[in-house]
Amino acid sequence: MRFLDYLSLSLRSLRRSRMRSLLTIFAIVIGATGITVMLTFVTTVKNLTVASFVKTGQIEQIQIAQATDLRYDPTGMSVQSGGGSLSGDGSTSSTTQLTSALETKISKVPHVVSVAAVLRSRSPAISNIRFKGKDWVVQSVLGYEPTGALTPAVIAGRDLKAEDSGNQLLISKNYADVLGFSGKYESAIGVHITLHTMEGYTGAGANLPTRLPPMHQCAQNQRKCFGGPTSGLPAIDIPATIVGVLDNSENGDQPLIMMPLGAYIDIYNQSQPANVQFAPQNNQQGSGNNGGNNGGNNGNQQPSGPGVVVGGWSRPSVTTFIANQGGFDSFMAKADDVTHVAEVASAIARFGVGTSTGLKALNDQKAQANIIGLVLGGLGLIALLIASLGVMNTMIMSVLQRTREIGVMRALGARRKTIRRIFTIEATAIGFFGGLIGVIFGSIFVLVAKPIITNMAKSGSLTGATFTVPPWLMLAVIAGTSGIGFLSGFFPARRASNLDPVEALRYE
Amino acid sequence: MAEGDNQMDGIKLSQVTRTYTLGSEEFNALNKVDLQIPNGDFVAITGPSGSGKSTLANIIGGLDKPTSGKVLVNGQDLSNLKDAELSSFRNKTIGFVFQSFNLKGDSTALENVMLPLIFAGISPKERRVRALECLDRVGLADRAGHLPNQLSGGQRQRVAVARAIANKPTVILADEPTGNLDSSRGEEVIEMLTQLNRDGITLLVITHDKDVAKHAHRRIEVRDGLVHEKGL
Ligand SMILES: Nc1ncnc2c1ncn2[C@@H]1O[C@H](COP(=O)(O)OP(=O)(O)OP(=O)(O)O)[C@@H](O)[C@H]1O
Ligand SMILES: [Mg+2]
Repeated sequence: MRFLDYLSLSLRSLRRSRMRSLLTIFAIVIGATGITVMLTFVTTVKNLTVASFVKTGQIEQIQIAQATDLRYDPTGMSVQSGGGSLSGDGSTSSTTQLTSALETKISKVPHVVSVAAVLRSRSPAISNIRFKGKDWVVQSVLGYEPTGALTPAVIAGRDLKAEDSGNQLLISKNYADVLGFSGKYESAIGVHITLHTMEGYTGAGANLPTRLPPMHQCAQNQRKCFGGPTSGLPAIDIPATIVGVLDNSENGDQPLIMMPLGAYIDIYNQSQPANVQFAPQNNQQGSGNNGGNNGGNNGNQQPSGPGVVVGGWSRPSVTTFIANQGGFDSFMAKADDVTHVAEVASAIARFGVGTSTGLKALNDQKAQANIIGLVLGGLGLIALLIASLGVMNTMIMSVLQRTREIGVMRALGARRKTIRRIFTIEATAIGFFGGLIGVIFGSIFVLVAKPIITNMAKSGSLTGATFTVPPWLMLAVIAGTSGIGFLSGFFPARRASNLDPVEALRYE
Repeated sequence: MAEGDNQMDGIKLSQVTRTYTLGSEEFNALNKVDLQIPNGDFVAITGPSGSGKSTLANIIGGLDKPTSGKVLVNGQDLSNLKDAELSSFRNKTIGFVFQSFNLKGDSTALENVMLPLIFAGISPKERRVRALECLDRVGLADRAGHLPNQLSGGQRQRVAVARAIANKPTVILADEPTGNLDSSRGEEVIEMLTQLNRDGITLLVITHDKDVAKHAHRRIEVRDGLVHEKGL
């Protein structure tokens, strides 16, 4: 007997009890649709994650920091896996400082294409950004070398380039939002904004006079107060240009500004007076000639009157500045190929620093997506298992209803195996059609949801979403539901084939 | 069969017993039956209800197995056959005709006649030709596309006869073939079966109807599981 003959006998019986068949199939459709939609979503997210890691070059990145439990961060911020920033408690940290010398050594590790050093603001040299007369507080500023190793994901504009020597900025999405570019991030590109410094600022662009204004009283935790002998100096405005808008979702959308390392050091490396002589004030402390060597720890002293800078101003060398910061916060190294990432990472780790790779971060994210997929798929599977009870019930009904027909077929020469196959195929067909319709429904759902999701994704990392049901998923769902149909039909079919033909023929 | 003698051909039952067990009670539906039916014979089987007529027919047709004793059909011992062989035996050697027609209600007359040919593994093309031939033989070629509920009772039974002969069996077992028909429709069916017998098929007809029985060459009566020869 050929398969088509079995099929036509099986389908005929499905058609005879149309309502019952449809309801049974529909139960399968529900589960199949759910699985199709949910797994499509998970797969899409996974594919987009991979694509974004590849596109941004993150997949080839090795992040390096003192923290040995470093969590990879594509913006170069060095974050410990505990979640805290390295500058905080620094619980598990090596003693190896990230110096320029180390950067050179890393750049010579085989398969390393480029390295970028990253510094993160500790002191609030820039207190806020100014745009159209309004101020927004600045929290984190990051300076990095635009060598191509660190390539933060931008949703508009571009990353920094090696030629960017001035105050080109990448601002995080939430800054762009408050600046009024929400949803039209492209229009933020090229916009000039102002970086407003602290009072007492003595970095690049500051006017460094020989006569200092009176020091400012510093209350505790007063953000705008540097304290120290220069604290009376006025704040200045530094012009800057937005060249890119950052997707900072990796950092939990912390507000962030990134700029070229050179410009960053110019601003944050503050000049200091060699010595300051203060005029006495209220005769309280006498002529205080406290050295202005360590600007900032005078906060608890009485304010002094105007002072005179003696011995001129000087600025720490870049090396000293970086050493004072405790070294660079992190390096980002880039391997020539994704296959060398692990090798490069372990070679760098031998320098006594912590490493973390984009590849591992990607795999972690993929693993997470897989777990979500398993949970969602599991829910769909439960729906399918319930539906399979329906198939079983339908098949038992079908066997009962057709008992006499089974007897007749046996009399006409059908073997036990033939009867079993007819019913097995009938049950498998229920599963097959359920899966097929489920995949069709799922695809329609995905098609309808696509513009909505793409719209939602526009502001996030899912830009350019390719939200379609993958062919392997279609096949897997149909194969799966067919399999469930087959299994559900197994026992009823066996029962049918084991019927005694004489009894079956007598059945009313 | 090499000798072609009557021992090998035809149907031969020896000491056939069919016992049903109901709880602790044993009941012999057939009790040590010896019976020989040569090929080409036309036998009418009569007897009171519950005497074991259908049991006898089912055992000869390979639908049921005797509790003890031997059944030979054309020299083949049915008790030794596996399911596949026994099914093939029913398919090729036996044609069943039932009292209540037992057509598949969702299939046309033609499809019903094709069913045993499907089980025989005959190609769709040949199946169709042969089924049409059989329908023609029972005079229903023009009703090939009708569903059973679009046919009269007599026509349905004629479709059943066409189905029984589709695979060119050597034996037709008809269990009360006229039981659901009025006398003239019944007569038509019997006429048809008689014609098939004339063409060489062994015909066993179970019937209550004396008019039907009188067409037969031989009459046997089953009573309390025992077979008695009855003269014509
Ligand atoms: N499955 C069974 N279990 C117990 N007894 C059975 C079973 N099948 C048949 N019998 C008994 O076997 C006997 C013979 O049954 P059979 O069907 O052969 O009778 P029959 O001669 O064909 O009767 P009828 O003319 O009414 O069709 C009956 O007494 C019946 O009760
Ligand atoms: Mg009977």
